Amino acid sequence: MPKHIVRLMLLVAVAAAAALGAKAYFTDKSYYRYGHYRGDSVAEIAGDTPRFRGNAYCKSCHQKQYAAWEGSPHNNPAAGKHVVCEVCHGPVGPHPSTVATPSFDERIALGSRAAVLTDKGAPSGQSSLPRDKTLCIQCHEAMPGRPSAQRQVALAAHSGTAECSTCHDPHEPKIYFSNLQAPPKGNVQAGKTLAAQCAACHGPAGHSVNPEWPNLAGQHAGYLLKSLQAFKAGTRANEMMSGMAAGLSDSDMENLAAYFSGESCKKSAGDPALAALGKARSNTCALCHGAAGVGGNPSWPNLAGQNASYLTASLKSFRSGSRSHPVMTSVAKTLSDDDIDRLAVFYASANCK
Amino acid sequence: MDHQDEEKKPKAENALRRNFLRAVGVGAACAGAWVSKTLPAKSLADETPIPDIPGYDWRKHKWAFGVDATRCIGCLRCVEACKAENGVARDAHHFRTWVERYVYLQGDDQAHVDSQSEPGNIAASGSEQAFRFDNRYQNAPVEKAFFVPKLCNHCTHPACVQVCPTGATYQTKDGVVLIDHSYCIGCQYCVQACPYGAREFNHAMGVTDKCTWCYHRITKGLQPACVEVCPVEARVFGDRNDPESPISRFIKNNRVSVLKPYTGNAPNVFYVGIDKEVS
Repeated sequence: MPKHIVRLMLLVAVAAAAALGAKAYFTDKSYYRYGHYRGDSVAEIAGDTPRFRGNAYCKSCHQKQYAAWEGSPHNNPAAGKHVVCEVCHGPVGPHPSTVATPSFDERIALGSRAAVLTDKGAPSGQSSLPRDKTLCIQCHEAMPGRPSAQRQVALAAHSGTAECSTCHDPHEPKIYFSNLQAPPKGNVQAGKTLAAQCAACHGPAGHSVNPEWPNLAGQHAGYLLKSLQAFKAGTRANEMMSGMAAGLSDSDMENLAAYFSGESCKKSAGDPALAALGKARSNTCALCHGAAGVGGNPSWPNLAGQNASYLTASLKSFRSGSRSHPVMTSVAKTLSDDDIDRLAVFYASANCK
Repeated sequence: MDHQDEEKKPKAENALRRNFLRAVGVGAACAGAWVSKTLPAKSLADETPIPDIPGYDWRKHKWAFGVDATRCIGCLRCVEACKAENGVARDAHHFRTWVERYVYLQGDDQAHVDSQSEPGNIAASGSEQAFRFDNRYQNAPVEKAFFVPKLCNHCTHPACVQVCPTGATYQTKDGVVLIDHSYCIGCQYCVQACPYGAREFNHAMGVTDKCTWCYHRITKGLQPACVEVCPVEARVFGDRNDPESPISRFIKNNRVSVLKPYTGNAPNVFYVGIDKEVS
């Protein structure tokens, strides 16, 4: 064989050996173990630490909250509802840990690709939990596209500017009575003596002498107290009441609230046809004031048996903005004059007991 | 030769040949029996080892995913959970899973489609880090509207794996398509190849990224993060080898479809309640 051919073949053989050697050196040992990829990467990916750790983990410390949630509509597997802890609170992650996990962005800033790849420590959920309504409306704002089985509310009519937690406990999202102030513990006898100065307008036992003014008998003590406090503080204005309340001490107001709430209320008569129309429009009201105008919630007034003229004037003052309330201002804006008249008759003629 | 000669052969030689043939026959039968008995056991024992994942054998599972669009409420908890669980960049441009909204207005033939990363929806939450659908259709004459969660389909014949030049993306034995980030060179052929737009480019790391069905969770007996936080059972996950798993029941009890079946990728995310325009 000619010399130059032998040299060429030698050269090719050396190049081939170098290439194969380089490939063997640089290819990961686990490559081709299961296929055309690095076999070790499967276990590496599977080895990441889960950040969502499930309800059982939360329950081990937060038993009270878990118990409230467990019996609530947020936990209804039969209906396909699983609003588990981490849906709202975000991932548990390393909580409870005193060592702050660097966030993804922080690790990016560190510039270490390895750090980004190995620890997927996104920030733990607690800090990102919104405490306002933005949390609830993610699921419960009425929106085209949401299935009808999902509980949805049109925000403006349902709650206005009030926060959801005013009325609802997110762990147990029924009406949240425990969130509201306890009824005042006033002295009924002392209240009765003081009530003499109220009698000129509101009647001796809280039955008003003029339908423009509210009946007080049988009203929630909590609401009466709140109203007097609002008049005294000036957050609610009325030319008579602002002056009257200004002279009352805190205990005076509690005593008056206790006295009037213990008196017996009366319903007044009204056109049954108008009342029926009013009842048909009362769905929104019923959410807070009860289906028949008697609510269990001591911070909000009973409406049943209240004077129709007073109810009309109140709704119109909410609507015009001369009286303001986070919920009522918005609700009243959805009502027409006819709606207001009918609702007033409905509640005035409703049984207040 | 032949007939004449054979008759001339001594009897002893004939017997010797007969014995020899008998011995060969019996030996072959025994060897056959032995081989047939030992081979299957031997081949299992000899098979390549399984990945070193504690308490997990990838030969025993066949994962699949279900989406019930009739249940989805568009709350986007899944999108945020995915980002938190997998360290996906918390902005409006990187998603491993996302949700689309399809709205048909009265008289329209075509759906209006948007997703959580659309600018109007980012404005609704006021932050690129929190996701919310805005309520732009609340006063519109909506004829039909629904939400469709999307994610990697973990196809049986994944086009993305076929085009990867480095073997950085591959299909596991239990039916999950993964990316080995240390082998990914960021060429994005796979991003182009995926007919579902399920792959995104991780600009921080310079690699392609995608849904893993939370492989680090499912190999520990947990559900993927998006399934874990879905409050309305719109997302279903499980093992098709187990006839009582959520996904097996989902496929059995519903008439399911897959996205773009004509591409031949054979997706493993099964949908219920999607419309003709969803692809």
